[in-house]
Amino acid sequence: MARTLAMFTDTSLCIGCRACQVACKQWNELGMEVPEWTGTYQNHTHFTDQTFRLVRFIEEPKPTGELAWLLMSDVCKHCAQAGCLEACPTGAIYRTQYGTVDINQDTCNGCRYCVSSCPFGVVAFNASSGTAKKCTFCNDRIHNGLGPACAKACPTESIQFGFRDELVARAQKRVETLKGMGFKEAQLYGADSNGFLGGLNAFFLLLARPGTYNLPDSPKLPQRNVVVDSLLSIGSAVLVGLGALLAFRERGQGGGDA
Amino acid sequence: MLKIPDWEMTIVWYFFLGGIAGGAYFTAAIADNFGSARDRAVSKVGYLLSLPLTLACGILLIADLGTPLRFLNMLGAFKFWNPMSIGAWGLGVFGLFSLLSSVLSFSTSQQMVGLRRKLSLVGSIFGFFLAAYTGVLLSATTLPFWGDSRLMGALFLASGASTGMAAISLIMFLGGTAAGEGWGKVKKADRYSMIIELVLLAVFLGLLGSAARPLTSGQFAPLFWGGLVGVGLVIPLVLEFVGQRVKAVAALGAVLVLVGGFVLRYVVLMSVQA
Repeated sequence: MARTLAMFTDTSLCIGCRACQVACKQWNELGMEVPEWTGTYQNHTHFTDQTFRLVRFIEEPKPTGELAWLLMSDVCKHCAQAGCLEACPTGAIYRTQYGTVDINQDTCNGCRYCVSSCPFGVVAFNASSGTAKKCTFCNDRIHNGLGPACAKACPTESIQFGFRDELVARAQKRVETLKGMGFKEAQLYGADSNGFLGGLNAFFLLLARPGTYNLPDSPKLPQRNVVVDSLLSIGSAVLVGLGALLAFRERGQGGGDA
Repeated sequence: MLKIPDWEMTIVWYFFLGGIAGGAYFTAAIADNFGSARDRAVSKVGYLLSLPLTLACGILLIADLGTPLRFLNMLGAFKFWNPMSIGAWGLGVFGLFSLLSSVLSFSTSQQMVGLRRKLSLVGSIFGFFLAAYTGVLLSATTLPFWGDSRLMGALFLASGASTGMAAISLIMFLGGTAAGEGWGKVKKADRYSMIIELVLLAVFLGLLGSAARPLTSGQFAPLFWGGLVGVGLVIPLVLEFVGQRVKAVAALGAVLVLVGGFVLRYVVLMSVQA
């Protein structure tokens, strides 16, 4: 495997221009969607089969009572331990040589298990292709020496593309700088490869707790309970089986033939 | 915001029929191996019921895919930790056992009967699997309630047993073979399964606590309490103890158990996706 590539989204630099959102749509030929009124500046509201990158506009009350903008360009996290990839029964969801997670559109059969296995609600089903869709990390571009379209289009370097180890080192320095400037809650999300989901290959610098951005504090791999749940099912099978055995053996024993 | 997979009525039917198929098969196998000669009707009905249901299961699963023609891609990977992957394999293998047992259930030759009994013991493992894995499949998602349910597979298995046994007894009643000892035994086994299911359901809800809210309160609550707990479990159990001498009452109980099994799959799937 080649050196792991990553995207580092530094939300402290985001100005909410949505160039990333547009670049993503254009490069990936994603269709238009009817906007939704939500009472905020944010549009679109959620990841869909036509929206792989979106800027979240969060209005956070300051102690003074005024609202502060928290802007965050959000994307598929390309988890090192990816729920969607583990859930895929056809092998269509795979890890590329660069560590990103992609969906092979030619083998996905549209079972939609990945949709319910993403801890971030990223993967979406496309009814016309009958397959699951999500950010490809611009798989075509990175294999041709180009960065993802969103990172390329970002005018403030809020979205940075590069080797993961280099980006993490840069991100850690940036957190220190921001803390020094008084952003007490500045923190990295998903940078730690010993942290949740083995680290995210699209990781973030946040200016508030993850929950403020509607991100889970500690997302978990959905498959983690399969063994326990299966053992409990076997226990149930033993109980039910014994019940049936009891019912059929009673009196039947006297019958002499078995 | 998490996304729902849009598994709707096709999957409700699949979960329901898969439970019956698995339950009917292992009931048949237990009757075949450990019952008396008079229980033969039970095992024959069970084997023969599991076959068309398994076929229907396969068709339902394929129909629900976004790209149905690619259903064989499921067999292009084998991930033992992934319920969807081993589910596709398990259903296929179970179908094979169901077919063999059904064919062999017509034979009276000692050799064939012996073979059928041995086969059915192995096939039962896949029957149990088919009844339970759909629950584990849901509990291995990130969605609230589904992902929080540690006993979903165990509960689905007990429901598969109770509905499989109810289906056998109902077919025997309708086919006029409810006279023998076998019918009484399958009813008794069904009672045990229902009691296990009721206890598991209580523990299931207890472990979930407030995470069970999609079921226990809100728009699906009347269906859950009335349709599953009331109509599907408590009333049939009462009917069993009150009216077990009257065959029509017992048959009505079996119908209610089947309704309850369907309601269980329906409320579990739809409450999270509503």
